[in-house]
Amino acid sequence: MTDAVYVPALPHDDARHLAAQHFLVEEAAALDAKAWEAWLRMLHDEISYVMPVRVTTAVGDGLDERADMAHFDEDLYSLRKRVERLRTDHAWTEDPPSRTRHVVSNVRTHATSSEGEIDVSSSLLLLRSRGDTRPLEVVSAGRDDHLVRVGERWLLRSRRIHGDEAVLRTQNLAILL
Amino acid sequence: MTVDGSIDAIAASIAEGMVPAYVYSDPAVFAVEREQVFRRSWVFLAHESEIAAPGDYVVRRIVDDSLIVVRDEAGAVRVHFNMCLHRGMQVCRAEVGNAAVFRCPYHAWSYRNDGTLAGLPFHDDAYGGEAVLARDEHRLLPPAQVETYNGLIFVCLSPDTPPLREYLGDFAYYLDLYTRHSASGIELHGPQRWRINANWKIGCENFVGDMYHTPFTHRSVVDIDLFREPKANKRKEGVVYFAGKGGGTTYKLPAGDFRERMRYVGYPDEMIARMAKAWTTSQHRLVADDGFMVSAATAFPNLSFVHNWPQVRSDGNVVPFISLRQWQPVSATETEVLSWFAVDAEAPDGFKRDSYRAYLMCFGSSGMFEQDDVENWVSITSASRGSMARRLLLNSRMGLDRNGAELSPPLEHFAGPGTARAGFGEFNQRNWLTLWASHLTGGPLRERHEPSEGRR
Repeated sequence: MTDAVYVPALPHDDARHLAAQHFLVEEAAALDAKAWEAWLRMLHDEISYVMPVRVTTAVGDGLDERADMAHFDEDLYSLRKRVERLRTDHAWTEDPPSRTRHVVSNVRTHATSSEGEIDVSSSLLLLRSRGDTRPLEVVSAGRDDHLVRVGERWLLRSRRIHGDEAVLRTQNLAILL
Repeated sequence: MTVDGSIDAIAASIAEGMVPAYVYSDPAVFAVEREQVFRRSWVFLAHESEIAAPGDYVVRRIVDDSLIVVRDEAGAVRVHFNMCLHRGMQVCRAEVGNAAVFRCPYHAWSYRNDGTLAGLPFHDDAYGGEAVLARDEHRLLPPAQVETYNGLIFVCLSPDTPPLREYLGDFAYYLDLYTRHSASGIELHGPQRWRINANWKIGCENFVGDMYHTPFTHRSVVDIDLFREPKANKRKEGVVYFAGKGGGTTYKLPAGDFRERMRYVGYPDEMIARMAKAWTTSQHRLVADDGFMVSAATAFPNLSFVHNWPQVRSDGNVVPFISLRQWQPVSATETEVLSWFAVDAEAPDGFKRDSYRAYLMCFGSSGMFEQDDVENWVSITSASRGSMARRLLLNSRMGLDRNGAELSPPLEHFAGPGTARAGFGEFNQRNWLTLWASHLTGGPLRERHEPSEGRR
């Protein structure tokens, strides 16, 4: 089995890394606060937001995600629809709402050939509590993001979410990762 | 609890349209279901398009039985029990892949993808070679019956159940409407898999005929203009049908001929032409003359279908999608949902892409329809666990008067087979539950406690 590729990230005091770290923590805060419109404003108009289905495969198969199926495969229109739905009075699955905590860590930033674009990978533990006493649901994932600077702001241009479970153990994805 | 006594009581209550609430969480009921429903029904495992090339396999389950569904080197679809003949290790621990040989990681017994034993270490020294242990007489255990319909691979663990086509009966007519849009048939993508704390029956009942929940449960998707059809006044114009081993719901389409009505749902002309060719005159008439379009459905026991046509862009155009889903029981109170996207293999690439997008927005793990369904089902399962639920018979009598007579008769004119009824009613759920109860009371299976399949 060949080793995976390792490329060192930018040092943590690099301004671009600080910007990436700041972006992800602010984004998590917006999601946990259910500040949906603020979250949408962090997205690039051309956003691609994809969470492929993870599969359990033998070593050497070279593939552990389905190419033809995802949990999310979204653009700005469909993400807006999801937010619009959550803001109706009839999105029953989130009434009472989940209490979520997006725990973001292991943030690593890579420069690209373009000054105003960076690749950022991070680990995410999404903790989701529903109802009084149900056990806390956990979605564990890595994320590969591409951020683009537009004027003074960084915007999320693409995100690939690599869930760690082949079979999700949360009742639905009425939440965002 | 004596199983027979209480199962008979459940069946008697179901016959009255009253469902004992505890059947949605009772472990004793689940133990009977495991034997009587899942061992004697034809259960869907996979579609041929998921294993297109020789060696392609997927691993699927029927309750606790792990089964490898594989295309062998000669191109035949095979199903093997995923357990080594020697010490019982699972010979395949991946979920999907391609293999010429499945090799047990314990002692390295190896099986060709057609199931036959290819090799074992020290065959001569340890076993006395072919003279004692002939490899071609040993194969991974196949289930009692394997058959396909429109490329859908079904397995039955009992040899006593009638052949698949006979089992499905007239439901096959409706199955075609989801899975035969051209001579090439569908291709299946996925599945998404996730586990919900809900009893497996609730999803089956919902998809088999619950038009009544749509306007309220799914109100948010109407609010945001994703799918306009579920408005209550529109939904009740549809019919529910029940035929053979399944039933489903339909929407009433606006006036028009076959092509106009298929266009309304969002199919491009080239696909409409292929459907017109692939469907029988009667299937064609269901749309062209009666104006009904299939939506949700369930084939007993746990395979469901859905066909909707949401708006996936701001341009106002709708795009239809089809999903197959299986409610795979894990326990009395937990279900693994497997949800696939299905599309005609001959459909244009642009349509496939848009239809996939429509599916993701509406159904599956993140679908905006499905999210609210699952919330209901988890809550029902949870509420059914306690002692109060043991007292409660849930009212599933919609469409019947106090004496059990039907409030309105079945349709006299309906192109499809089976019984069709307009408007809201729980006829289909009662039919599905009656099938379920008839399995539960169906007596013991013949070969139940006699292991006899291994070879010396």
